[in-house]
Amino acid sequence: MKTEAEIRRALREWIVQTNGKIRPEELNDETPLLERRILSSLQVMDLILFIEKLSNKFIDVEQLKAGVFRDIHAIYRNFFESSGDPEVRG
Amino acid sequence: MRELARTVEKLCEASKRDYLNPYVQLEWPEVLDAEQWFTSPELLSIYGTERYERLSEAEKKRLSFYEAVNFFSLNIHGEKSLIEGLARRLYKRNYGQVSRYLHHFLDEENKHMVYFGEFCTRYAGKVYPEKKVVFPRDYEPGEEDFLFFAKVLIFEEIVDVYNVKMAKDARLAPIARQINFLHHRDEARHLVFGRRLVKELFDRYAPTWSEETLQGVRDYLKGYLTATWKEYYNPEVYQDAGLAAPFDIQESAFHGERGREHRRRISKGGLRYLLENNLLEEEPSL
Repeated sequence: MKTEAEIRRALREWIVQTNGKIRPEELNDETPLLERRILSSLQVMDLILFIEKLSNKFIDVEQLKAGVFRDIHAIYRNFFESSGDPEVRG
Repeated sequence: MRELARTVEKLCEASKRDYLNPYVQLEWPEVLDAEQWFTSPELLSIYGTERYERLSEAEKKRLSFYEAVNFFSLNIHGEKSLIEGLARRLYKRNYGQVSRYLHHFLDEENKHMVYFGEFCTRYAGKVYPEKKVVFPRDYEPGEEDFLFFAKVLIFEEIVDVYNVKMAKDARLAPIARQINFLHHRDEARHLVFGRRLVKELFDRYAPTWSEETLQGVRDYLKGYLTATWKEYYNPEVYQDAGLAAPFDIQESAFHGERGREHRRRISKGGLRYLLENNLLEEEPSL
Protein backbone atom coordinates (compact mmCIF):
# COMPACT_ATOMS: atom_id res chain seq x y z
CA MET A 1 0.00 0.00 0.00
CA LYS A 2 1.52 3.30 -1.08
CA THR A 3 1.50 6.44 1.07
CA GLU A 4 -0.19 9.65 -0.03
CA ALA A 5 3.20 11.25 -0.80
CA GLU A 6 4.24 8.27 -2.94
CA ILE A 7 0.98 8.34 -4.89
CA ARG A 8 1.21 12.07 -5.55
CA ARG A 9 4.84 11.68 -6.65
CA ALA A 10 3.93 8.78 -8.97
CA LEU A 11 1.15 10.88 -10.55
CA ARG A 12 3.51 13.84 -11.05
CA GLU A 13 6.16 11.64 -12.66
CA TRP A 14 3.61 9.98 -14.95
CA ILE A 15 2.23 13.34 -16.10
CA VAL A 16 5.69 14.80 -16.79
CA GLN A 17 6.67 11.69 -18.74
CA THR A 18 3.39 11.54 -20.69
CA ASN A 19 3.39 15.23 -21.59
CA GLY A 20 7.03 15.10 -22.64
CA LYS A 21 7.46 18.90 -22.63
CA ILE A 22 6.63 20.15 -19.15
CA ARG A 23 9.53 20.24 -16.66
CA PRO A 24 9.00 18.65 -13.20
CA GLU A 25 9.44 22.04 -11.46
CA GLU A 26 6.60 23.51 -13.58
CA LEU A 27 4.07 21.02 -12.22
CA ASN A 28 2.57 21.14 -8.73
CA ASP A 29 -0.54 19.51 -7.27
CA GLU A 30 -2.73 22.50 -8.21
CA THR A 31 -1.54 22.90 -11.83
CA PRO A 32 -4.65 22.68 -14.08
CA LEU A 33 -3.99 19.63 -16.26
CA LEU A 34 -6.75 19.92 -18.85
CA GLU A 35 -7.22 23.68 -18.90
CA ARG A 36 -3.51 24.13 -19.65
CA ARG A 37 -3.61 21.21 -22.10
CA ILE A 38 -0.92 19.34 -20.20
CA LEU A 39 -3.01 16.21 -20.88
CA SER A 40 -5.18 15.54 -23.94
CA SER A 41 -8.42 13.56 -23.86
CA LEU A 42 -6.60 10.53 -25.31
CA GLN A 43 -3.95 10.75 -22.58
CA VAL A 44 -6.70 10.84 -19.95
CA MET A 45 -7.62 7.33 -21.04
CA ASP A 46 -4.04 6.29 -20.24
CA LEU A 47 -4.26 8.19 -16.97
CA ILE A 48 -7.37 6.20 -16.03
CA LEU A 49 -5.46 2.96 -16.62
CA PHE A 50 -2.54 4.29 -14.59
CA ILE A 51 -4.82 5.30 -11.69
CA GLU A 52 -6.49 1.87 -11.80
CA LYS A 53 -3.14 0.17 -11.50
CA LEU A 54 -1.94 2.50 -8.76
CA SER A 55 -5.16 2.19 -6.72
CA ASN A 56 -5.77 -1.47 -7.61
CA LYS A 57 -9.41 -0.59 -8.36
CA PHE A 58 -11.36 -0.39 -11.59
CA ILE A 59 -12.81 3.01 -12.49
CA ASP A 60 -16.34 3.30 -13.80
CA VAL A 61 -15.96 6.10 -16.32
CA GLU A 62 -19.75 6.56 -16.56
CA GLN A 63 -19.80 7.60 -12.89
CA LEU A 64 -17.08 10.23 -13.16
CA LYS A 65 -18.04 13.79 -12.30
CA ALA A 66 -16.72 16.94 -13.92
CA GLY A 67 -13.43 18.14 -12.46
CA VAL A 68 -12.05 14.80 -11.26
CA PHE A 69 -8.96 15.21 -13.47
CA ARG A 70 -8.60 18.97 -12.89
CA ASP A 71 -5.26 18.65 -11.07
CA ILE A 72 -3.26 16.14 -9.05
CA HIS A 73 -5.01 17.20 -5.87
CA ALA A 74 -8.44 16.42 -7.41
CA ILE A 75 -7.18 13.09 -8.75
CA TYR A 76 -5.89 12.08 -5.32
CA ARG A 77 -9.08 13.16 -3.56
CA ASN A 78 -11.39 11.37 -6.01
CA PHE A 79 -9.54 8.13 -6.60
CA PHE A 80 -7.29 7.44 -3.63
CA GLU A 81 -8.99 8.71 -0.49
CA SER A 82 -10.85 5.69 0.90
CA SER A 83 -13.98 5.04 -1.13
CA GLY A 84 -14.94 1.58 0.05
CA ASP A 85 -14.83 0.27 -3.55
CA PRO A 86 -13.65 -3.35 -3.79
CA GLU A 87 -10.02 -3.92 -4.65
CA VAL A 88 -8.97 -6.00 -7.61
CA ARG A 89 -7.91 -9.56 -6.85
CA GLY A 90 -4.33 -10.64 -7.20
CA MET B 1 -16.84 14.70 -55.29
CA ARG B 2 -18.25 12.91 -58.36
CA GLU B 3 -16.44 9.71 -57.38
CA LEU B 4 -17.86 9.96 -53.87
CA ALA B 5 -21.39 10.43 -55.29
CA ARG B 6 -20.96 7.31 -57.46
CA THR B 7 -19.71 5.32 -54.46
CA VAL B 8 -22.68 6.51 -52.37
CA GLU B 9 -25.10 5.44 -55.11
CA LYS B 10 -23.62 1.92 -55.28
CA LEU B 11 -23.47 1.52 -51.50
CA CYS B 12 -27.09 2.60 -51.06
CA GLU B 13 -28.19 -0.08 -53.54
CA ALA B 14 -26.08 -2.72 -51.74
CA SER B 15 -27.51 -1.71 -48.34
CA LYS B 16 -31.07 -2.03 -49.65
CA ARG B 17 -30.26 -5.45 -51.14
CA ASP B 18 -28.65 -6.73 -47.90
CA TYR B 19 -31.26 -5.22 -45.56
CA LEU B 20 -31.78 -7.54 -42.59
CA ASN B 21 -33.74 -7.93 -39.40
CA PRO B 22 -31.31 -8.49 -36.49
CA TYR B 23 -34.08 -9.95 -34.32
CA VAL B 24 -34.64 -12.97 -36.56
CA GLN B 25 -31.25 -13.42 -38.16
CA LEU B 26 -29.51 -15.11 -35.25
CA GLU B 27 -30.36 -18.19 -33.20
CA TRP B 28 -29.37 -17.64 -29.60
CA PRO B 29 -28.50 -20.80 -27.63
CA GLU B 30 -29.94 -20.95 -24.11
CA VAL B 31 -26.48 -21.55 -22.69
CA LEU B 32 -23.05 -21.39 -24.24
CA ASP B 33 -20.85 -24.45 -24.51
CA ALA B 34 -17.77 -23.76 -22.37
CA GLU B 35 -15.85 -26.28 -24.49
CA GLN B 36 -15.90 -23.90 -27.43
CA TRP B 37 -13.88 -20.85 -28.42
CA PHE B 38 -15.51 -17.41 -28.70
CA THR B 39 -12.45 -15.53 -29.93
CA SER B 40 -9.84 -17.12 -32.18
CA PRO B 41 -6.96 -18.06 -29.85
CA GLU B 42 -4.41 -16.25 -32.06
CA LEU B 43 -6.40 -13.02 -31.60
CA LEU B 44 -6.47 -13.18 -27.81
CA SER B 45 -4.66 -10.18 -26.33
CA ILE B 46 -2.16 -12.30 -24.39
CA TYR B 47 -1.70 -15.02 -27.04
CA GLY B 48 1.94 -16.05 -27.37
CA THR B 49 2.94 -14.71 -23.96
CA GLU B 50 4.39 -16.81 -21.19
CA ARG B 51 1.24 -16.17 -19.13
CA TYR B 52 -0.92 -17.55 -21.94
CA GLU B 53 1.17 -20.68 -22.32
CA ARG B 54 0.70 -21.47 -18.62
CA LEU B 55 -3.12 -21.49 -18.94
CA SER B 56 -5.02 -24.76 -19.28
CA GLU B 57 -7.21 -25.31 -22.35
CA ALA B 58 -10.33 -24.57 -20.27
CA GLU B 59 -8.82 -21.31 -18.96
CA LYS B 60 -7.90 -20.23 -22.48
CA LYS B 61 -11.46 -20.86 -23.64
CA ARG B 62 -12.86 -18.96 -20.66
CA LEU B 63 -10.59 -16.04 -21.54
CA SER B 64 -11.76 -16.26 -25.17
CA PHE B 65 -15.36 -15.76 -23.96
CA TYR B 66 -14.55 -12.60 -21.97
CA GLU B 67 -12.40 -11.24 -24.78
CA ALA B 68 -15.39 -11.70 -27.11
CA VAL B 69 -17.54 -9.75 -24.63
CA ASN B 70 -14.87 -7.03 -24.58
CA PHE B 71 -14.64 -6.96 -28.39
CA PHE B 72 -18.41 -6.65 -28.71
CA SER B 73 -18.46 -4.01 -25.93
CA LEU B 74 -15.84 -1.94 -27.77
CA ASN B 75 -18.01 -2.12 -30.85
CA ILE B 76 -21.06 -0.97 -28.92
CA HIS B 77 -19.21 2.08 -27.58
CA GLY B 78 -17.70 2.87 -30.97
CA GLU B 79 -21.11 2.61 -32.59
CA LYS B 80 -22.84 4.71 -29.94
CA SER B 81 -20.60 7.69 -30.64
CA LEU B 82 -20.72 6.93 -34.36
CA ILE B 83 -24.53 7.11 -34.35
CA GLU B 84 -24.43 10.42 -32.45
CA GLY B 85 -21.98 11.88 -34.94
CA LEU B 86 -23.76 10.53 -38.02
CA ALA B 87 -27.11 11.89 -36.82
CA ARG B 88 -25.58 15.35 -36.31
CA ARG B 89 -24.28 15.31 -39.90
CA LEU B 90 -27.49 14.20 -41.62
CA TYR B 91 -28.54 16.83 -44.20
CA LYS B 92 -25.70 19.12 -43.20
CA ARG B 93 -24.72 21.55 -45.96
CA ASN B 94 -21.84 20.26 -48.16
CA TYR B 95 -22.90 16.65 -47.52
CA GLY B 96 -25.30 16.50 -50.51
CA GLN B 97 -25.85 12.93 -51.64
CA VAL B 98 -23.87 11.55 -48.70
CA SER B 99 -26.90 11.98 -46.42
CA ARG B 100 -28.71 9.26 -48.36
CA TYR B 101 -26.05 6.78 -47.31
CA LEU B 102 -25.90 8.11 -43.74
CA HIS B 103 -29.45 6.76 -43.29
CA HIS B 104 -28.19 3.24 -44.11
CA PHE B 105 -25.08 3.73 -42.01
CA LEU B 106 -27.18 4.74 -38.99
CA ASP B 107 -29.63 1.88 -39.52
CA GLU B 108 -26.88 -0.71 -39.83
CA GLU B 109 -24.89 0.53 -36.84
CA ASN B 110 -28.00 0.38 -34.66
CA LYS B 111 -28.62 -3.19 -35.77
CA HIS B 112 -25.06 -4.18 -34.93
CA MET B 113 -25.55 -2.91 -31.39
CA VAL B 114 -28.69 -5.07 -31.10
CA TYR B 115 -26.73 -8.31 -31.54
CA PHE B 116 -23.55 -7.18 -29.78
CA GLY B 117 -25.63 -6.02 -26.81
CA GLU B 118 -27.69 -9.22 -26.80
CA PHE B 119 -24.58 -11.39 -26.62
CA CYS B 120 -22.97 -9.35 -23.83
CA THR B 121 -26.04 -9.02 -21.62
CA ARG B 122 -27.47 -12.51 -22.25
CA TYR B 123 -24.25 -14.43 -21.58
CA ALA B 124 -22.04 -12.12 -19.48
CA GLY B 125 -24.74 -10.02 -17.84
CA LYS B 126 -22.89 -6.83 -18.74
CA VAL B 127 -21.23 -4.61 -21.30
CA TYR B 128 -17.70 -3.53 -20.34
CA PRO B 129 -17.61 0.26 -19.82
CA GLU B 130 -15.49 2.32 -22.16
CA LYS B 131 -12.42 4.20 -21.00
CA LYS B 132 -12.18 6.82 -23.73
CA VAL B 133 -13.22 10.32 -22.72
CA VAL B 134 -13.66 13.34 -24.96
CA PHE B 135 -13.33 16.98 -23.91
CA PRO B 136 -14.88 19.73 -26.04
CA ARG B 137 -12.46 22.01 -27.89
CA ASP B 138 -12.36 24.40 -30.85
CA TYR B 139 -11.63 23.21 -34.40
CA GLU B 140 -10.53 24.78 -37.67
CA PRO B 141 -13.02 24.50 -40.58
CA GLY B 142 -13.49 20.86 -41.61
CA GLU B 143 -11.20 19.55 -38.88
CA GLU B 144 -13.93 18.12 -36.65
CA ASP B 145 -15.71 16.34 -39.52
CA PHE B 146 -12.44 14.97 -40.83
CA LEU B 147 -11.37 13.68 -37.41
CA PHE B 148 -14.78 12.16 -36.79
CA PHE B 149 -14.76 10.06 -39.97
CA ALA B 150 -11.02 9.28 -39.75
CA LYS B 151 -11.49 7.91 -36.21
CA VAL B 152 -14.44 5.80 -37.37
CA LEU B 153 -12.28 4.43 -40.17
CA ILE B 154 -9.31 3.61 -37.92
CA PHE B 155 -11.59 1.83 -35.47
CA GLU B 156 -13.45 -0.13 -38.16
CA GLU B 157 -10.31 -1.16 -40.05
CA ILE B 158 -9.07 -3.05 -36.97
CA VAL B 159 -12.47 -4.52 -36.16
CA ASP B 160 -12.94 -5.78 -39.69
CA VAL B 161 -9.70 -7.77 -39.68
CA TYR B 162 -10.91 -9.51 -36.52
CA ASN B 163 -14.38 -10.05 -38.02
CA VAL B 164 -13.04 -11.59 -41.22
CA LYS B 165 -10.72 -13.98 -39.38
CA MET B 166 -13.35 -15.06 -36.85
CA ALA B 167 -16.19 -15.39 -39.34
CA LYS B 168 -14.10 -18.12 -41.02
CA ASP B 169 -12.84 -19.82 -37.86
CA ALA B 170 -14.59 -23.19 -37.51
CA ARG B 171 -13.31 -23.54 -33.93
CA LEU B 172 -15.61 -20.75 -32.76
CA ALA B 173 -19.09 -21.26 -31.29
CA PRO B 174 -21.61 -20.72 -34.13
CA ILE B 175 -23.17 -17.65 -32.50
CA ALA B 176 -19.75 -15.93 -32.25
CA ARG B 177 -18.95 -16.77 -35.88
CA GLN B 178 -22.33 -15.54 -37.10
CA ILE B 179 -22.02 -12.21 -35.29
CA ASN B 180 -18.59 -11.66 -36.80
CA PHE B 181 -19.88 -12.61 -40.23
CA LEU B 182 -22.92 -10.31 -40.11
CA HIS B 183 -20.85 -7.42 -38.86
CA HIS B 184 -18.25 -7.83 -41.59
CA ARG B 185 -20.96 -7.92 -44.26
CA ASP B 186 -22.02 -4.35 -43.41
CA GLU B 187 -18.59 -3.08 -42.40
CA ALA B 188 -17.14 -3.92 -45.80
CA ARG B 189 -19.46 -1.22 -47.22
CA HIS B 190 -18.77 1.21 -44.40
CA LEU B 191 -15.03 0.90 -45.03
CA VAL B 192 -15.43 1.67 -48.74
CA PHE B 193 -17.50 4.74 -47.81
CA GLY B 194 -15.10 5.78 -45.03
CA ARG B 195 -11.99 5.49 -47.18
CA ARG B 196 -13.58 7.58 -49.94
CA LEU B 197 -15.03 10.24 -47.62
CA VAL B 198 -11.97 10.62 -45.37
CA LYS B 199 -9.73 11.23 -48.39
CA GLU B 200 -12.25 13.67 -49.84
CA LEU B 201 -12.44 15.64 -46.56
CA PHE B 202 -8.67 15.65 -46.11
CA ASP B 203 -7.99 16.83 -49.69
CA ARG B 204 -10.63 19.54 -49.30
CA TYR B 205 -9.72 20.93 -45.88
CA ALA B 206 -6.08 20.07 -45.07
CA PRO B 207 -4.69 22.72 -47.51
CA THR B 208 -6.63 25.38 -45.55
CA TRP B 209 -5.23 24.35 -42.14
CA SER B 210 -2.20 25.89 -40.48
CA GLU B 211 0.95 23.77 -40.18
CA GLU B 212 0.28 23.50 -36.45
CA THR B 213 -3.28 22.20 -36.98
CA LEU B 214 -2.13 19.68 -39.58
CA GLN B 215 0.56 18.38 -37.23
CA GLY B 216 -2.01 18.28 -34.40
CA VAL B 217 -4.39 16.25 -36.57
CA ARG B 218 -1.65 13.76 -37.46
CA ASP B 219 -0.55 13.43 -33.84
CA TYR B 220 -4.16 12.92 -32.79
CA LEU B 221 -4.70 10.13 -35.33
CA LYS B 222 -1.58 8.33 -34.12
CA GLY B 223 -2.70 8.72 -30.51
CA TYR B 224 -6.18 7.52 -31.36
CA LEU B 225 -4.82 4.39 -33.03
CA THR B 226 -2.77 3.54 -29.93
CA ALA B 227 -5.68 4.31 -27.59
CA THR B 228 -7.98 2.09 -29.67
CA TRP B 229 -5.53 -0.78 -29.39
CA LYS B 230 -5.14 -0.33 -25.64
CA GLU B 231 -8.81 -1.12 -25.17
CA TYR B 232 -8.21 -4.61 -26.52
CA TYR B 233 -6.05 -5.25 -23.44
CA ASN B 234 -8.67 -4.92 -20.73
CA PRO B 235 -7.67 -5.81 -17.13
CA GLU B 236 -11.34 -6.40 -16.24
CA VAL B 237 -11.40 -9.18 -18.82
CA TYR B 238 -8.41 -10.88 -17.20
CA GLN B 239 -10.02 -10.59 -13.78
CA ASP B 240 -13.35 -12.01 -15.04
CA ALA B 241 -11.46 -14.88 -16.68
CA GLY B 242 -10.02 -15.69 -13.26
CA LEU B 243 -6.44 -14.50 -13.90
CA ALA B 244 -4.53 -12.97 -10.99
CA ALA B 245 -2.69 -9.62 -11.23
CA PRO B 246 -4.78 -8.29 -14.15
CA PHE B 247 -2.97 -4.92 -14.38
CA ASP B 248 0.42 -6.63 -14.68
CA ILE B 249 -0.95 -8.90 -17.42
CA GLN B 250 -2.28 -5.86 -19.29
CA GLU B 251 1.03 -4.04 -19.09
CA SER B 252 3.25 -6.90 -20.12
CA ALA B 253 0.94 -8.06 -22.94
CA PHE B 254 0.60 -4.55 -24.38
CA HIS B 255 4.29 -3.68 -24.15
CA GLY B 256 5.67 -7.10 -25.13
CA GLU B 257 7.18 -7.68 -28.58
CA ARG B 258 4.49 -10.19 -29.53
CA GLY B 259 1.80 -7.60 -28.80
CA ARG B 260 3.52 -4.98 -30.98
CA GLU B 261 3.99 -7.44 -33.81
CA HIS B 262 0.32 -8.49 -33.61
CA ARG B 263 -0.89 -4.86 -33.70
CA ARG B 264 1.39 -4.04 -36.64
CA ARG B 265 0.09 -7.04 -38.57
CA ILE B 266 -3.59 -6.31 -37.92
CA SER B 267 -3.19 -2.56 -38.58
CA LYS B 268 -1.23 -3.05 -41.81
CA GLY B 269 -4.07 -2.38 -44.28
CA GLY B 270 -5.40 0.64 -42.40
CA LEU B 271 -1.93 2.11 -41.97
CA ARG B 272 -1.16 1.68 -45.66
CA TYR B 273 -4.25 3.72 -46.48
CA LEU B 274 -3.31 6.48 -43.99
CA LEU B 275 0.25 6.70 -45.31
CA GLU B 276 -0.55 6.46 -49.02
CA ASN B 277 -3.06 9.29 -48.73
CA ASN B 278 -0.67 11.46 -46.73
CA LEU B 279 -2.94 11.47 -43.68
CA LEU B 280 0.08 10.26 -41.78
CA GLU B 281 3.67 10.95 -42.77
CA GLU B 282 5.26 8.15 -40.81
CA GLU B 283 4.21 4.85 -39.31
CA PRO B 284 3.29 5.26 -35.64
CA SER B 285 5.00 3.04 -33.09
CA LEU B 286 2.32 0.63 -32.05
